[in-house]
Amino acid sequence: MKVYYKATYTYKILRMFRTEFENFVQTLGNIVIYGLDFLKGLKNKPTTFREVMAQSARFGISSLPITLSIVGMTSVIIAMQVAGEMVKQGAGNYVGMLVAMLMVREEAVIMSGFAIISMIGSSLASEIATMKVTEQIDAITVLKVNPIHYLFTPRIIAGTIMMPIVVIIASLFGIIGGAVASNMASGLTFKAYFDSVWFGLNMHDLKVCIMKAVSFGFVISLISCACGMEAQDGAKGVGIATTKAVVWSFVAIVILDLIFAAACFY
Amino acid sequence: MGIEVKHLYKSFDKKPILEDISFKVDDGKILSVVGFSGSGKSTVLKLISGLLEKDSGEIITTGGDIAMVFQYSALFDSLNVFDNISFALQERKDLRNKYTQKELEKIVAEKLELVGLSGIENKFPSELSGGMQKRVSFARAIVTEPKIILYDEPTAGLDPISSTLIEDYIVRLKNETNAASIVVTHQMSTIRRTADSVLMLYNGHAVFEGTPDELCKEETPYTRQFVEAALDGPMKMN
Repeated sequence: MKVYYKATYTYKILRMFRTEFENFVQTLGNIVIYGLDFLKGLKNKPTTFREVMAQSARFGISSLPITLSIVGMTSVIIAMQVAGEMVKQGAGNYVGMLVAMLMVREEAVIMSGFAIISMIGSSLASEIATMKVTEQIDAITVLKVNPIHYLFTPRIIAGTIMMPIVVIIASLFGIIGGAVASNMASGLTFKAYFDSVWFGLNMHDLKVCIMKAVSFGFVISLISCACGMEAQDGAKGVGIATTKAVVWSFVAIVILDLIFAAACFY
Repeated sequence: MGIEVKHLYKSFDKKPILEDISFKVDDGKILSVVGFSGSGKSTVLKLISGLLEKDSGEIITTGGDIAMVFQYSALFDSLNVFDNISFALQERKDLRNKYTQKELEKIVAEKLELVGLSGIENKFPSELSGGMQKRVSFARAIVTEPKIILYDEPTAGLDPISSTLIEDYIVRLKNETNAASIVVTHQMSTIRRTADSVLMLYNGHAVFEGTPDELCKEETPYTRQFVEAALDGPMKMN
């Protein structure tokens, strides 16, 4: 009898892993299929400038306050922790360089990504999931409009265009925040700080930063829309789809970040 | 000809939902599909509209557009009534640039007048009652002049007076468009007021086909139980 229970428990765990693996493969497959459908539909101009602008405002303007707050605070924290010590060690002239490099290469883009996933990705997923469970997507299909082209296209275009803009603004904000924090924490002058900013940055950094932002924007909006599209079973399904969109987007941008780091800085 | 369905089969996860369903609806006629919840009624509509793919069988239609009115209207809540009704004309690839704004306004006004809701173009679905939402969804469905109109429980959740109004509009739309219509319903009143013929499903099988009068007079246990809304009978609730 004891063996029977053990076997059942093991079986349940294995079955759970199998289900999770199947769900993972299915979600990944759906994201790829939706992505290809989106690309295929681009040649037919499936969206209007007005709709792209509306979604861009959502991506850019709505997310900017929280993105700037997160990136600004991160740069202040970094500057507060390193500026005093570097000035003591006679390396005060490199504080600006360090903060700028961290901002442009990593912090601004990844923190903006996290902020946009939390604010916009979750909202995209829940919006499309609600449309799915209330049969609005079925209604679009019956009216012979491709829901992928109609819903995904303006959102993905907006995400891909707006993410680099948000990241550039966030980087500048982070560098300025670092200057203020360094000045307050260690008395480093603004001139010394900003003179060193240019030591550490080059065009390669800026190009990689923009490429990362573009790919993050594309991936976040695609995953969010795709997870929303797969929602089932009413309110619970909307919640599951939103959580899935956030988790998958977080993991995807960290993996992308790793790929960029390995390809561009290693 | 309207719609002809021959030997339709559909299953989900190997569980049969529809088995050997056949029926025909001519232009300008209304077929009511009735039966318990889970008997496969809505699946029939989803197969005809193309939202689901059949396992086997044939669905033959006259061609032209197929429109569907959803159980809870399924209006696009981020769009106003004008954009909801003109959605297909604005977004469909083959119709997108066919109409000017003035023409769109005229078409939407005509459709709204047909469902007795003139002048609400700028309202959003959340500002409308359930009955009004349903009528807006009627207007959205007929905007492309469909040859087939499918109604999924059009009176669900409505009070008796609103239900009567909706039933009247179903008949009116049929007369105006001469479309073949299928109405999925549980309501005997909807069957009596709208249907030319009735198909009863139980556990994926057709257990009755005839006119509303024949349904009321039929003495088979299935039809008696449904018409009398009796708990005892061959049809068991899950």
